[in-house]
Amino acid sequence: MQTQQPSSSTELKELYAAESARIQRDFESSGDGHAAVFARTALVESIALRLWSEHVSPSMEGPSGFALVALGGFGRRWLFPFSDIDILFLHAGQDGEREFKPRIRAFSQELWDLRLKLSPATRVISECERFDPNNVEFAISLLDCRYLAGDPAIFTKLHDQVIPRLVTRESRQIVQRLTDLCRARYNKFGNTVFHLEPNLKDGPGGLRDYNLACWLALIAAMEEGGTWPEEGSLLPPSLRKPFGESLDFLMSARCFLHFRHQRDDNTLAWVAQDEAAASRVGVPDSKALSASDWMRIYYKHARLIHRISTQLLEEFPAARPSLYRQFQNLRSRLSNAEFSVVDGRVFLHRPEGLSDPQLPLRTFRFLARHGLSLSSATEHQIEEILPSLASDPPKGVELWHYLQEILLAPHAASALRAMHSVGLLTLILPEFKGIDSLVVRDYSHRFTVDEHTFVAIENIHALRRSQAKWDQRYAELLDELEQPDLLYFSLLLHDTGKAMDYPSHVTGSLEVAEACMARLEMDEPDRETVRFLIGKHMELSASLRRDIFDPETIRLFAAKVETPERLKMLCLLTYADIKAVNPEALTPWKAENIWQLYIGTANFMMRTADDRVHGDVDEEVMMHLRTLAPAAGPKLDSFLDGLPKRYLLTQTASEVLSHMAMASRLSDDPVQLELTRGRQWYELTLVTRDRPFLFSRMAGALASWGMNIVKAAAFSNSAGVVVDKFFFTDRFRTLELNLPEWERFKTSIHDVLTDKADLNRMLNDRMRGQKKQAPKVKVDTQIEVDNECSAQSTLFEVVTQDQLGLLYRISSQFARENCSIEIALIETEGQTAIDVFYLTAAGQKLDPARIETLRTALLAELSTE
Amino acid sequence: MTKLEAVIQTSKLDAVKDALHEIGVEGMTVLEARGHGRQKGHTEYYRGREYTVDLIPKIKIELVLGDDLVEGAVQAIMNSARTGKIGDGKIFLSRIDDAIRIRNDERGDSAL
Repeated sequence: MQTQQPSSSTELKELYAAESARIQRDFESSGDGHAAVFARTALVESIALRLWSEHVSPSMEGPSGFALVALGGFGRRWLFPFSDIDILFLHAGQDGEREFKPRIRAFSQELWDLRLKLSPATRVISECERFDPNNVEFAISLLDCRYLAGDPAIFTKLHDQVIPRLVTRESRQIVQRLTDLCRARYNKFGNTVFHLEPNLKDGPGGLRDYNLACWLALIAAMEEGGTWPEEGSLLPPSLRKPFGESLDFLMSARCFLHFRHQRDDNTLAWVAQDEAAASRVGVPDSKALSASDWMRIYYKHARLIHRISTQLLEEFPAARPSLYRQFQNLRSRLSNAEFSVVDGRVFLHRPEGLSDPQLPLRTFRFLARHGLSLSSATEHQIEEILPSLASDPPKGVELWHYLQEILLAPHAASALRAMHSVGLLTLILPEFKGIDSLVVRDYSHRFTVDEHTFVAIENIHALRRSQAKWDQRYAELLDELEQPDLLYFSLLLHDTGKAMDYPSHVTGSLEVAEACMARLEMDEPDRETVRFLIGKHMELSASLRRDIFDPETIRLFAAKVETPERLKMLCLLTYADIKAVNPEALTPWKAENIWQLYIGTANFMMRTADDRVHGDVDEEVMMHLRTLAPAAGPKLDSFLDGLPKRYLLTQTASEVLSHMAMASRLSDDPVQLELTRGRQWYELTLVTRDRPFLFSRMAGALASWGMNIVKAAAFSNSAGVVVDKFFFTDRFRTLELNLPEWERFKTSIHDVLTDKADLNRMLNDRMRGQKKQAPKVKVDTQIEVDNECSAQSTLFEVVTQDQLGLLYRISSQFARENCSIEIALIETEGQTAIDVFYLTAAGQKLDPARIETLRTALLAELSTE
Repeated sequence: MTKLEAVIQTSKLDAVKDALHEIGVEGMTVLEARGHGRQKGHTEYYRGREYTVDLIPKIKIELVLGDDLVEGAVQAIMNSARTGKIGDGKIFLSRIDDAIRIRNDERGDSAL
């Protein structure tokens, strides 16, 4: 026995230090990470063998019944400069374990004295065949086992019999645990490759993902063949080259980090990125690179590794818990004439159909609607056709409609990521390329600019599913938006200017948006909204740095935002944008402050809604209107005189001119109606002369057709011309399914307003056919009155249970009390109606007695069924 | 050494930071805070719901200073954070026994 001989530790220390320094020098000159890890593996192995001969057995193949086995990274010859060294002392039986214990201790002590991070395990061979669910790491490390020294027969038994039996028997459990560990690891890193300071080992797209792909392929092969597969045959030939290139890059980068930090630190921090780019780590043949360019190369490789490992994970049946499988089976029923869905992945029935340039867009729309992923075959097929698509890319209104549908679908962010990953997003919006994997060094940001954008879109969609208090408040705002697609589109482009050389990225983002909107041939009012949202996307955050309870702060902010609709959109955009900076960025402090600023501004806008136009219209607005209608002349001034300023802010120039034209035709027909269909609602505009019961008769006429009024606005000018707009949903699809009904509907409304039809009879007919349904949520009626906020009117805010005919009942009550509705702002939020009216009686504010009479009458009216 | 804690209006943070920087104070900890002193909150109604703000958003800054800088820092904060209205905030001073820089074991004033 050699155990009592003096050790040669000093010599070994010198040898290890000298060889390690040589490996570092070689790496610094060649940049070859693969060579460095191989060289360190060989160095550690030579030391281990020498210690084996000194402390355990002079013969490398002795003693009998005991062997030294390399596991994990050491087993696969992947020892990075400061990696742990996993070894297994393998015994044939319990007796050997006791006999060799002192020698194992001496052997291990020597390695620790060399400051090597040894992770030893001692097992009897029978123990290796048992699967311990709490130590799946050991079972996984066996997949990389390699003989070092000792009894070859016992290692052969482990390798050829024990491990294949273990894997074949327990593959389901091993893969399940591996999946759990992987998901926990992904969650820790926010499920994205695109961190500004990524972890090269454990982050998504890191080296652990490469190992995961190899282990899954190995387990699948063993499960099928019952034995070890042929070396090098694990991955499909098409993947080997790109996968190998990505591995080489990551190996070099991790070696660089270890040498730089002199420890097992795998975080690619900004300073390290600068040095890696300057040294062209992983890309020695490249020309000079900026840190951003070098990071783009990193993300390209990490994205590939992440994509392949995720695909393997999802395609591996054992990786899926039973609930997941049931869910995927349900999803496979989504298959249709164009797509088949297998295990949550989409395949094209006819890949040759990709010659139709719209099929890729329909594919991603399908993904966005149903939360599916592309199969690798489909991904490859789409990538193949992109070059031909590039010569004549989709554009115009048709592309905008596809984009709208994708952005509005619940899984928009995942679909956009997939579009970006295959290169389709930058093909249709080339300006997005600037922020592809772009690192902007901001200490609070955690993700690249493109990923930040997708996370922000994801945050908005997640509002509807969230149970969190803050999310639910903001989800209510989202449901009220008239054009949520414009919010999503603005989010998609809001930071694109970060790739451009402007003092403020907002300028660049606006420039990008202009180009995109022109190509998409978007309507001018929609473009104006997008310009506003992108141009002001920092305003709400900036206002949070003011005293948000100061009326002047609120007034200034309201002046910038202009309309309640824009306020809601900007509020949501800010909420999603801050939340996408990093998971902790939206503190309860900020969320509360955004909400307080929102409600303060919303209330301010509501209370100042009856500020009227009296020759003081913004000159820019007037010039714009006059340019559009040069012949209007003084007619325009007299039409606008006395209308609320809010009217000009909420109506587009073309709408204002259309209303003016309708007003000029009142001498031909006293009731001018216009019916249009929007994305969510129908819109009915009425221009007529004011008279008692007008608003209530209009509301009643709509109710008699079963239409559900979700929003309304009523305005009047000094000449007594009113412009009323009603937004409603068609509950019985009367208008949608019967085009001829449009004219009959308009005629019926016209007849009610000109007293040719009996409204009471129509309403009674409707109510008789109406089934009584208990409301899902009970809303108590509340009436708030403010007689101070307006100089001319009394504000009544009625919050109550929404129901058919509600607006008719409320407005009839006002008319019965001889009150005129100067302005009505009607909104519906779920089952709650929120109606605000500015009322006058004989042209004056209401006196206290009339207010009380009206309040009592309204409460009585709304308390009856 | 003295620890200075100041509770100020959110809108005054930039001005206070600049003022402290001007007199040579380089580091500080900034915390998002809520609270009230004599300045009570208020209630806002929105859509029939009542939103009561009884704890007002504030910013709290914390600094540990060598004794020679304390008075200057107090003056800088007072001058830059004062509006003269209720809710301007408060400054608290307390003695600190020692400071240690974790990176290199430096102690006392040199660790600040």
